[in-house]
Amino acid sequence: MSDKNPEGSLEVPQWQLDLDQVGFVRRIFLARRWYGGDWWFVAVSAVLLLFIIIVGIFPQWFAPHDPRAEVGPSLLAPGEPPAEYVLVAPVESAVTGIREVATSSNRIGFVIGSPASQALREVTDRITEEDQAAGLDVRYQPRPVRFELLEEGLEATLTGDVSAFVVEPEIFEAVASDYPELEVASLLRPAGDAGFVLGTNQIGQDILSRIIWGTRIAIIVGLSSAVFAVLLGVPLGLISGFIGGWLDRVLTLLMDSLYSFPGLILAISIAAVLGPGIGNIIVAIAVLYVPTYFRIVRGQTLAVKQELYVEAARSLGAKAWSVLWEYIFPNVIPSVVIIFSVNVADAILTEAGLSFLGLGLPPDTPDWGIDLARGQDYLRRAWWLITFPGAMVSVVTLAFSMLGESLSEILNPRLSEL
Amino acid sequence: MDAHTLLQVRDLHVAYRTRLGHVSAIDGISFDVKKGEILGLVGESGCGKSTLGKALLRMLPTSARIEGEITYEGGTNLLELEQHALRDFRGRRASMMFQDPMTSLNPVQRVDEHILEAIEVHEPETPKEAALERARTLIERLGIQAQRLRAYPHQLSGGMRQRIMIGLGLVLNANLIIADEATTSLDVIVEAKLLDQLREVREEFGLAMIVITHNIALVAELADRVAVMYAGRIAELGSVYEVFDHPRHPYTQGLLKSVPNIKLDETEELYKMPGEPPNLTHPPSGCRFHPRCPMVMPICKEREPTMVEAKPGHDVHCWLFAEDALKDQASGKVAS
Amino acid sequence: MTAFGEKPSTLVEVKDLKKWYPIHKTFLDRVLAGSQNYVRAVDGISLSIRRGEVFGLAGESGSGKTTTGRLIVRLEDPTSGEILFDGRDLATLSAEDMRKERRRMQVIFQDPMACLNPRMSLGQAIGHGLRIHYPAQADSHREQIMEIMEKVGLYPARYFFNKFPHQISGGQRQRVVIARALITRPELVLADEPIAMADVSVRAQLLALMNDLRDEFNLTYLFITHDLATAKYICDRIGILYLGKMVETAPIQTLYAKPLHPYTQALLAAVPVPNPHERRTTPLPEGEIPNPIDPPSGCRFHPRCPIAQAICSEEEPPLREIQKDHLAACHFAEQFR
Repeated sequence: MSDKNPEGSLEVPQWQLDLDQVGFVRRIFLARRWYGGDWWFVAVSAVLLLFIIIVGIFPQWFAPHDPRAEVGPSLLAPGEPPAEYVLVAPVESAVTGIREVATSSNRIGFVIGSPASQALREVTDRITEEDQAAGLDVRYQPRPVRFELLEEGLEATLTGDVSAFVVEPEIFEAVASDYPELEVASLLRPAGDAGFVLGTNQIGQDILSRIIWGTRIAIIVGLSSAVFAVLLGVPLGLISGFIGGWLDRVLTLLMDSLYSFPGLILAISIAAVLGPGIGNIIVAIAVLYVPTYFRIVRGQTLAVKQELYVEAARSLGAKAWSVLWEYIFPNVIPSVVIIFSVNVADAILTEAGLSFLGLGLPPDTPDWGIDLARGQDYLRRAWWLITFPGAMVSVVTLAFSMLGESLSEILNPRLSEL
Repeated sequence: MDAHTLLQVRDLHVAYRTRLGHVSAIDGISFDVKKGEILGLVGESGCGKSTLGKALLRMLPTSARIEGEITYEGGTNLLELEQHALRDFRGRRASMMFQDPMTSLNPVQRVDEHILEAIEVHEPETPKEAALERARTLIERLGIQAQRLRAYPHQLSGGMRQRIMIGLGLVLNANLIIADEATTSLDVIVEAKLLDQLREVREEFGLAMIVITHNIALVAELADRVAVMYAGRIAELGSVYEVFDHPRHPYTQGLLKSVPNIKLDETEELYKMPGEPPNLTHPPSGCRFHPRCPMVMPICKEREPTMVEAKPGHDVHCWLFAEDALKDQASGKVAS
Repeated sequence: MTAFGEKPSTLVEVKDLKKWYPIHKTFLDRVLAGSQNYVRAVDGISLSIRRGEVFGLAGESGSGKTTTGRLIVRLEDPTSGEILFDGRDLATLSAEDMRKERRRMQVIFQDPMACLNPRMSLGQAIGHGLRIHYPAQADSHREQIMEIMEKVGLYPARYFFNKFPHQISGGQRQRVVIARALITRPELVLADEPIAMADVSVRAQLLALMNDLRDEFNLTYLFITHDLATAKYICDRIGILYLGKMVETAPIQTLYAKPLHPYTQALLAAVPVPNPHERRTTPLPEGEIPNPIDPPSGCRFHPRCPIAQAICSEEEPPLREIQKDHLAACHFAEQFR
């Protein structure tokens, strides 16, 4: 390489040379100025997404419990420790422990809808297990009797209709003076010391663990369907836009008709036809998005084809394939990347919708859509059943959308400013 | 301010905040425009001439910071005017012609509607027939047939559209027209005709004009006085004969020698000015022209030169002419 | 080729070139319109370009100068007429042969930002021609690219190699475009308004560069411009176009000193001069450039011509030799000799 400095050559300004010496990390910080106010947007969305993806890949590190196990009483409010329950029995029956009233000939009462039944079941299961392990051949399975009102239940206990009544001690204390013949016979189950951060659902599964594991499904389905859609839609769009002619017309017609279907309905139809299973869900959602990529890529291809630099490439003698790969493709990719992130967000929503409707995933999969479906009826009693899965869907969707927005700024900087 | 001065600009600064950093587009400019004179503002890209044109009518985006003083006919500083007074100024006192009249004319409005709207906004008491009559006379005086009044902008040629723009300035008896690269997109003959038109209009109506362009030949054809701008500052300001016959600033000298002249018989070598106009996010220190100046001195890199009157009416921004300042500096007297 | 292996002196020969663009493009439009109309962008142009010269094509908008240039390098196909490049009619070549032939004719476009791929580094962009036409010598490509970058003034080449178009200035971009065009050592270079978008103070540099490279690389330029002052500095011969036809052609000094066609005279008079003592006093032709769809009959300039006579609207004047090597298309050109 010659060292001569030809006449009229240009001095590279020092500040430009300095910038080249700067390392990559430093350049990211310097770039902060370049991105301007959008910088924090990029940073926040990137961090959030990274976190979500890690949670999705390694849910077991984050989830405190097995999402399918019944780890607690049902419908436990967030943070609330399981309540203490006592057995209330007539004073004269001299009941001292659960074992005395828990045989199959006994009836035990509680207020309908309260976690008392759960507590009772839990305790009877436990003592059955314990005693059977100790060699006794017993089975504790009292017949549950549900009462609408506390008073009814206590009356029934008085009359002997039920052998004992399960209730929280505070509730009984409040009305104990009205029932002097009843007393707290024994402790059924002590209060728990810790509750569940986000509560439990109606089966007693920990909600936090379920939504953490739900992230994995969302990420898998969301990303896979988006990737499939890209692999199918982008090449078709490129070729269709580049070649034109009858191929273009046929494909456009096909894609437009797919595109005009309302998304969720199309996904439902495909899922219904293909049957259950996570693979089929992925396919259904992917098909949904292929037309979007096709249209965008085709439009971009047509626009880029008109650009002067493509003509310049032709004038150099470049072959058609080279023009497509080196000139059109790199200029079309930025829009694909942006759509991709929005696509993932939408795919997660669609997947939640599909499983909400009961299509695709096996019923007890820890999935946000399934949880949303199950929790619908409990909105008033146990709001936490749908709030947290719903919030997760929103947050993850938001994170991917934010990423899409910030990518749009980075990949297509406004070149008009100097 | 004397009675002949129409517009006075003092110490104008305009800065933008872009994502590539702080850009000082105009860095302390001062000049006068006399009544009925044509001032040519010539410079290359990045010199700030377009910014200046827009700043005079306060048409810069809100992200721009403007400081300084612009006085019109001895009145209040334009930069401090209220919106409604500003609207009165724009259109009535001063009007602007842009490079591409296609985009500055409303494509869904006919020509007469444009003119009538201008009259209506600024002089609402004018009855419609009188306004139409004004429009008609005006169009004909500009050399366009009256039936073209009913045409849409896209049906007219580029030259005609530019003449409509002149007309919009004239119809309200503006005193000042700012033409920002008004002829850049026109063919040579059409451009020449437009220049003739502008001269006629000036003769007849006594309009003052600020002609902003990168084409120095244009300025030679049309202007009475010339301001040569470079990188946001005025390099040289004087009568057109002075500046062309005796250019004092090295930039002006270089520019004149590097521009092809169709009338010169010998094909002399054009002067190849080294370097390029600077990037205003990282302007050179001191005198912004110093990296390209063949007569650069040590002081040029350190301090921005002050405006010196090399001859009455001929100002230069160059250390070569600030002998007193240099002497004072050498003797250690004055700090700046 | 002559007997001694010398290359023939005429590089490009154009005979009665026409390019008409149909207005009604689809079948339905035509049926509805009743008849077809054409924009006659180039309407019968003949010229020849000698090896090693700079041939200018000048004119205003609608003259067909850019289209003619594009037709000559086959960026578009003509409606009729013959274009011979180095003696061969390029229309007879297959698509693949034409592609290979492009190595010998390159283009410098007007807008350097638009003609560079924003996603391709400068080194890659410049070397693209080498990759296409000399793929076997891939090892030497980088060195060749560096060499030509320094030749056009992009020094140090190492610095610019990995940059992208938006990271450099306009003048530097145009140098990149020049480097890209010349790296395959073409014989003909079409320069389409190459300095129109560059800064005024930078234009002289670029013109000088193009001149130096012409000598070094033995280039022939077809220089398209609307700026007659610039054309005077760089061109050897020039052709003036009006509304798709060539109205005058001559060596540059001759044409500027003694233009024979009224349009050329008007054009030269209208060019602004950077000297306030030489302001234009001559009158300008009336009217504006007519619509290329429906050009005037006979001589296209006759509606605006100050010396037009009856014959001018009836009979189109041929481009004929009035003086040695000086052709004009006017019935009355002799009076200006």
